[in-house]
Amino acid sequence: MALTRSPSLRLIGRRLATAVPVLLGVTVLTFLVLNLMPGSAAQQLLGANATPEQVRQLEQELNLDRPAVVRYWEWLSGLLTGDLGNSLASGQPVVDLFAQRLPVSLQLIGFAFLISLAFTIPVALLAARWPNGILDRLSMMVSLTGLSVANYVLALVLVVIFAVKLQVLPSIGYVPLGESVVGNIRSLVLPAVSIAFPLFCFYTRFLRGDLVEQMRGEDYVMAARAKGIGPWRVLVRHAFRNSLFGLITIVGLNLGTLIGATVIIESIFSLPGIGQLLLQGINTRDVFVVQAVVLMLAFAVVLANLITDLLYAVLDPRIRYGQR
Amino acid sequence: MRSRIRLASLACTAALSLLAAACGGGGGGGSGQGDADPGTPQRGGELIVLEEAGYSGAWPSGLDPATNTTGGANLTEMNAIFGGLFQLGEGEGENAEIIPKLASGYELSEDGKTATITLREGVQFSDGTPFNAEAVAWNFKRNSESPCTCNPRWPLTKKDGIVVKDEYTVELNFTRPYPTLINRFPVSNVNWVASPTAFEEMGEDEFKQKPVGAGPFKVVSNTVSSELVLERNPNYFEEGKPYLDKLTFKAIGGDQAAYQAILAGQAHAYEGMTTTPLVEQARNNDQITTTIQPATSPYVVQLNTKAEPFNDKRAREAIYYATDPEAINKGLFNGWYPISQSFTGPGGLFHQPTVPGYRTYDLEKAKQIVQDMGGLEVELGTLKTYVADQVNKALQSQWEKAGIDVTIHSWELSTLITEFESKKWQAMLQTAGSWDPEAGVGVPFRFRSDSPFTGVFDPKLDKLLNDAAATLDEQERAELYAEAGKYISDEAYAPFLFAFAPANIAAKGVHGPGLTTKIPPMLVQPGILWEDVWMSQQ
Repeated sequence: MALTRSPSLRLIGRRLATAVPVLLGVTVLTFLVLNLMPGSAAQQLLGANATPEQVRQLEQELNLDRPAVVRYWEWLSGLLTGDLGNSLASGQPVVDLFAQRLPVSLQLIGFAFLISLAFTIPVALLAARWPNGILDRLSMMVSLTGLSVANYVLALVLVVIFAVKLQVLPSIGYVPLGESVVGNIRSLVLPAVSIAFPLFCFYTRFLRGDLVEQMRGEDYVMAARAKGIGPWRVLVRHAFRNSLFGLITIVGLNLGTLIGATVIIESIFSLPGIGQLLLQGINTRDVFVVQAVVLMLAFAVVLANLITDLLYAVLDPRIRYGQR
Repeated sequence: MRSRIRLASLACTAALSLLAAACGGGGGGGSGQGDADPGTPQRGGELIVLEEAGYSGAWPSGLDPATNTTGGANLTEMNAIFGGLFQLGEGEGENAEIIPKLASGYELSEDGKTATITLREGVQFSDGTPFNAEAVAWNFKRNSESPCTCNPRWPLTKKDGIVVKDEYTVELNFTRPYPTLINRFPVSNVNWVASPTAFEEMGEDEFKQKPVGAGPFKVVSNTVSSELVLERNPNYFEEGKPYLDKLTFKAIGGDQAAYQAILAGQAHAYEGMTTTPLVEQARNNDQITTTIQPATSPYVVQLNTKAEPFNDKRAREAIYYATDPEAINKGLFNGWYPISQSFTGPGGLFHQPTVPGYRTYDLEKAKQIVQDMGGLEVELGTLKTYVADQVNKALQSQWEKAGIDVTIHSWELSTLITEFESKKWQAMLQTAGSWDPEAGVGVPFRFRSDSPFTGVFDPKLDKLLNDAAATLDEQERAELYAEAGKYISDEAYAPFLFAFAPANIAAKGVHGPGLTTKIPPMLVQPGILWEDVWMSQQ
């Protein structure tokens, strides 16, 4: 009884309940798109010289000649038992491919998030503390520049500076965490910064704007100042906490777009991650690989939204105690 | 205030972009072209080779010769693991020769219908099992029954097509003369012989990931289409080779990233660089050896003679007259590549630099024809690659000057194949030819009427090409191909442009045939002889 009264748990339950149809919808859409795309997976696998008879033969072997609904149902049934199917191209279980590559992408994205937030918060606070001051203007200039430059351009510039000229960081390759912690971090710095920098620019402008608005317009800020609380304390302990809602929302919403960034960045830095796997899967019409990656992405977005909502509850006691 | 900040941001953005475009090429002076005096090969070292992720850096169907559908693109990885029965040696055009490697020689019967291949004795696969005629025949049979492009499509006799004569001799029997058999080997999956024992022990799926061959290297680890780590094969038959301890292939997203990685010392070589400004930078960098490979496959504008407007010869002629390959070659490629009027390039066999009566650029004639026809609309497609896109755009602007209304497309491979299969395509920019016109994506692929990728359906041309493929006399072959080239020109079937060839770049201190010296490409890139590649030890 007590469990069902907990707003947080009820929230989790509601989210998970709505996640199922969302994820199903994503898989149906992906399956439809892949099957509607021109070209045949069998043709792609056999190559340009294959005769129509050979293509038909392989389609039969791979069950690609069966109706799309049947194939989708079989895939879904396998999913429920943890079987994501085998790559049409290499024959490897998709689960194995994920196990190889997911840690690389997760580390890259996690590292990028960490870097972006680690710089966003102090810079935004400083900019908001002295609006239109030198630091504020400088951060605005840097942010506008960062938002204007594509992350693959930034990646190449970083490689020129840090790998080619200074030779302090590697330009390609991935060192597994188990092999060397320092090597792992070094191999991810440049790719992570390529992703993190545009995020930092976006988050900084957003957070700074929200903080300034809070500091200028909110009654509780005026009340706090009237009580003699210093501006830094008001900014950090009060305004920042309120501004976090907006920041958490956009960070959560950004997660899906990060995967697009990893596809390019993983190619440039030769990282064996999920982004690279997705690109290869699309090029070879490898339905099971693409389906699995897209499902994973959709799940990640749902999870990010859930975590966002839970963080709201942490930040706002009114939500936690269901008194909204 | 805000406008000043925006202006400053714009300046920063432009500066960053310029910096990226400048690419930070280090060093200076030095033409860095080819490998003048490599010195004595040294043993040891680990070589990291970068391959373009969209082509040779992708092996999605694995590395088993009987199932690798991208074998032509993965020539370099397959050669490293399997070596080859026959390989193309250094040189250009007729100076390059087929070298027996794991084979010791071959004989063709007088009628060209029987080929006897003798194998090198005492060779072992990297798993220690014997490399013999039984193993080779097993591979031949397996490839011949494969549904994929791995299939050599030999015209084998139904009975005794593949025969084991003795421990080191395999005989192939064909239904018709097949004199081009050996020339086709270096770019065919049958050239790579897998260990039957290892295949039986590992099973098909595992074997695709960690195949076992008799080449200079063996597989340590394989992350599909990302990284392939190889180490020296201790059983390799050539004593003292390979020179390298370890060879690693890594997929990378493009020329720019690859070039920077080599400058940063993160890799040692990159195959198939096509971006002209980068090739130029590399050539001017004395820390890099740049080798532009011999040109064997000219660009050609295929015209679909079964569909409008190119079922009308006048329209085809207009395209010939409106096309200025010299201008494209100079504008986009600094004039590096030789102009072609036929399907052969100077790096290949039977090269024919000019064709009598070839319709060269004449804008006024082109305009006149278009006017007489009452206008001309063309859809021009190509495969989505950097070079092809650039050339397509140049062609569009040239043809538009002649009054031709041009829409250009660039497609991924599978969509391109669909376009060809629809038979509704009009014009396609492709490449045609190989070191041997019959091998790889050779001239029949683009011009014989039974090919799904042809725009020409002409029995006379078919006969010329078939006769050329069936004759054992090299002189007669040359004459037949010359005649075919003239016929294509006379009928205005397809204007040729120039014979493009990619560049291989390597860090100073790296040497090897096909990497820092020239080997004619059979299919886009040359077959590097990895057993002979070495690094200066410092």
